[in-house]
Amino acid sequence: MAAGSPASSSMMAGPYVGSSVPRREDDELLAGQGRFLADLVGAGTLHAVFVRSTHAHALIEELDTTEARSLPGVVAVVSAGDLEAPLGPLPTLHEPHPLFADVFEFSMVDAALPCLAGAEVTYVGQPVAVVVANSRRIAEDAAELVTVGYAPLASVTDAEAALDPHSALVHDLLDTNEAARIRCSFGDVDGALEAASVVVADCYRMGRHGAVPLECRGVIARVDARRNRTEVWTSTQIPHLVQRAICAVTGWPRETVRVVAPNVGGGFGTKANVYAEEVVIPLIARRLERDVAWVEDRLEHLTSAAQGRDQVHRCRLAVDSAGVILAWQSDFVVDIGAGSLWTAGILANTAIHLMGPYRLPAFRVSGRAAFTNKALVAQYRGAGRPEACFALERSLDQAARELGLSPAEIRRRNLPGPDEMPYVRPLPYRDGVPIVYDGGDYGACLEACLQMLPESEAKALADDHPQLLVGHGVATYIEATGRGPYECARVTLQPGGSFEVAAGSACAGQGHRTTLAQVAADALDVDLARVCVRNGDTDAVADGIGTFASRSAVVAGNAVHVAATRLRTRARALAARQLGVSVEQVVPVDAGFATAYRGATLTWGDLAAALGREGSLADEQPLQEIVRYEPRTVTWTMGAHAAVVGVDPDTGLGRVLRYAVAHEGGADIHPGIVEGQVIGGVAQGIGGALLESFGYDADGQPTSGTLAEYLLPAPCDVPTVQVRHLTAPTSANPLGVRGAGESGTIAVYAAIASAIEAATAAQGVRVRSTPVDPSMLALALHTSIDGPA
Amino acid sequence: MKPPPFEYVRVESVQQALDELHADPEAKALAGGQSLVALLNLRLARPSRLVDIGRLGELDRIFEDRDSLVLGGLVRHRRLENDPLVRRRAPLLAEAASHIGHLAIRNRGTLGGSLAHADPAGELPAVILALGGTCYTDSVDHGRRAIPIEDFFTSHYTTVLCADELLTWVRVPTVKRLEGWGFVEIARRSGDFAMAGAACTVCLDAAGRIDGVRAALMSAGPTPILVSDASPVGRWPDEELARELAAQWAPAQADTFRRLLANTALRRALVAAMQRAQQRRQEAGVG
Repeated sequence: MAAGSPASSSMMAGPYVGSSVPRREDDELLAGQGRFLADLVGAGTLHAVFVRSTHAHALIEELDTTEARSLPGVVAVVSAGDLEAPLGPLPTLHEPHPLFADVFEFSMVDAALPCLAGAEVTYVGQPVAVVVANSRRIAEDAAELVTVGYAPLASVTDAEAALDPHSALVHDLLDTNEAARIRCSFGDVDGALEAASVVVADCYRMGRHGAVPLECRGVIARVDARRNRTEVWTSTQIPHLVQRAICAVTGWPRETVRVVAPNVGGGFGTKANVYAEEVVIPLIARRLERDVAWVEDRLEHLTSAAQGRDQVHRCRLAVDSAGVILAWQSDFVVDIGAGSLWTAGILANTAIHLMGPYRLPAFRVSGRAAFTNKALVAQYRGAGRPEACFALERSLDQAARELGLSPAEIRRRNLPGPDEMPYVRPLPYRDGVPIVYDGGDYGACLEACLQMLPESEAKALADDHPQLLVGHGVATYIEATGRGPYECARVTLQPGGSFEVAAGSACAGQGHRTTLAQVAADALDVDLARVCVRNGDTDAVADGIGTFASRSAVVAGNAVHVAATRLRTRARALAARQLGVSVEQVVPVDAGFATAYRGATLTWGDLAAALGREGSLADEQPLQEIVRYEPRTVTWTMGAHAAVVGVDPDTGLGRVLRYAVAHEGGADIHPGIVEGQVIGGVAQGIGGALLESFGYDADGQPTSGTLAEYLLPAPCDVPTVQVRHLTAPTSANPLGVRGAGESGTIAVYAAIASAIEAATAAQGVRVRSTPVDPSMLALALHTSIDGPA
Repeated sequence: MKPPPFEYVRVESVQQALDELHADPEAKALAGGQSLVALLNLRLARPSRLVDIGRLGELDRIFEDRDSLVLGGLVRHRRLENDPLVRRRAPLLAEAASHIGHLAIRNRGTLGGSLAHADPAGELPAVILALGGTCYTDSVDHGRRAIPIEDFFTSHYTTVLCADELLTWVRVPTVKRLEGWGFVEIARRSGDFAMAGAACTVCLDAAGRIDGVRAALMSAGPTPILVSDASPVGRWPDEELARELAAQWAPAQADTFRRLLANTALRRALVAAMQRAQQRRQEAGVG
């Protein structure tokens, strides 16, 4: 029987967790049967187009919509002036635990951006007005007819420049461009820096890039006037947080708003954000009592969807003569553009993950977030971890070079051994709980990676590519995964004896319909085919958070596990009552329950029927469990990446020739999906390391408005990625799982930079920023343009 | 991403196309649409009318005419890449066509469209320049003009074509017996616009010395530029000469990196052309 057919999956027996069962999403998606946001636009739906700021910073002196309104087919044009009161701001999406904020001296101000610009615009692409018409074409024609008179103001596009006291202000209402700060230390950093035999100091930058999913954003809102309900479909990773934001801004009661995420064509963090458009479209649908759709186009996406990274780290690393770390410090700045709902999360993630997986006797971090006149920022796969990893791993490579150690060796000497686990840091995590690395054997993980892709491979490849300079690089990372505060799940026995599983973790391609079904089927001890997963819908489970931060397998997975376990326990008791035996005498069988004593069986269908109105258990509550699973704290995933990169000295272009990832995760729910996550993460890391950049000119005008300018990695740019999963189950949660969604991305930048430096070691090239600039490499490798140096 | 309103007419003959273009100076010919449609959707082009010439089969033909190939303006890039006649008689053209964008783009984009669009990063403008081709244009007012490719491009995206003129045919000389060719493009990713690129031909004499070189660069200025001269005639072809010529011919540019890339592309293209010329000379049993 063909793998992947429904029949074959129904024939597979449990346990399912740990097995790469056919993904339930595949048949639908591969046959083009997915239902993405734009597929849901129905006949009679009005089309919205946003008029967006064309200036990085300006006062709006005039806004005339008369001509646009008079275009035939236009139904409404709405700007801030048409609203009774300013709409927004959107509530921040993360606030750290007070204990964390206290220890890390964290403070933050809010840009409080309205959903539609009022008197001032602060970035190109900011929504200024929205045109609603009978067709997208008419709406675009009308949007051109909206006259906006801008009086340009001074703008700033560099985060460090923005923090200069003399800089132009991004937000007039604030007297500073500093959006947030964080500071913390332990150990004697200054003493170590003075006494160390080697201190390396440098500045490392990671450019602005981001998710750029295949599917852009989009929102459809429908109003059911009779039920006083507004239903919102949006391409999001966090429907419950979108629902909360809509209600917070509009004041509508929660039960009157339903938010649904249909198939989502990639999120990677840019859709783990709430947007002004997600509030404006429902509001207009409600005003007009018509269905309204906004489908973002690529130009809009590349200029107005949330972007990521954009950090600079000024670091000092002190090591002794054996390469053992004595102290590590970084002073960093994050460019959050005109604002971010994730400022706290990004600053905290960066500060914590700067410590890496290594032993660290002394550490000092200070970080600031700066407003600039660039697009908004959200989390992007890794969310501060790749930037932190880059700074630390680059510094380690530099220290290794000074000492004549190999990059692998200096890491070996600093990773805590298995006998040191659990490894405790004298700092709390973002949730206020002390940081404890609950790992297995980090050193073994490094060796596993080097075994897959040893340095000797670079020498062999150099022979195959005589025109290239070839080098081998390595980097490790640590990742806090499964962050709370909670996720909700519901498991319900349905008539006929099948189960519906719902969770707050919306899916943006992670395969939850498969993995959550595996978890539920095992806990219920039923055939996988009996379990159907429904998520991404605030009507399916009342409370939830969403999918991001390598959290869903851990938090939603365990919520489903606990709910299904409880349901099974209660079902067994009901089965005992129905079968007329004690609970201990009830044993599970394929289709339900049985008792060997009486030889009787009771299928799940029988049980569902007995719970029905005519059934003998009609007096019992239906079999349904709703669980809010709250992890005590995070669980940690560690890994090592190795890369072999070839550099063409005459063009400066780098090519990743080989790549390997070993990661120490927890129990695998679906090994195939985990491997896919890692490989996809590597592809995005390669893009960020070598190609992707959201460019802005000095006036804050975006220079990457098309995919000819914003360079995504294509198949030729990503080699086969070898993946080795080292299982280190954790006791942090019942399933023993750790998150892995960002494991593929975090260390790519550092590994590739390391490989490029190894390739060009003879010429002494240093890689301090990503994306690695070909002109920097080429010019560093030439004393004259007429040939190699 | 919807274009501004325009009128649309699909023409059935070259004459009808010329009449349409003559009647409305704001009209634009639409062929493969691989540049024009993107410009329309970004609202950077606003023609009043699109004259769709996409089904003019008469312009989708290729003839061999003694020592030249005559190619219709509607010949698609994919056909240039794969057509046996083009591969045999104008192999440089076939090789360059394989570097254009991606397969889906090559299935639609046309020779005439690419030359008329005059993107300085375009492969075909540089190749036709290196080959020394001739463009034939037709219009109601000017009749047929034969324009040497050296005179065709004037600046970024600008040619000597009048608003009502249609580029109908292109003539390129076919490859000579002792001629080799080279095409090198440097881009961030496969299929991207060229950061630099070079197209060249190298002809040898019976003794194996250089008889003539033609080399053109893309992405090195506002138009593709012909950089070669007669200086290598009589020299022996080798890597050292390629290096020398590349250094001599790569245009002075403010941007050192750009100049390095042009130099690299040119050197590699010259080396490839010299090697092929020598190979063809051996195969021809000369010397």
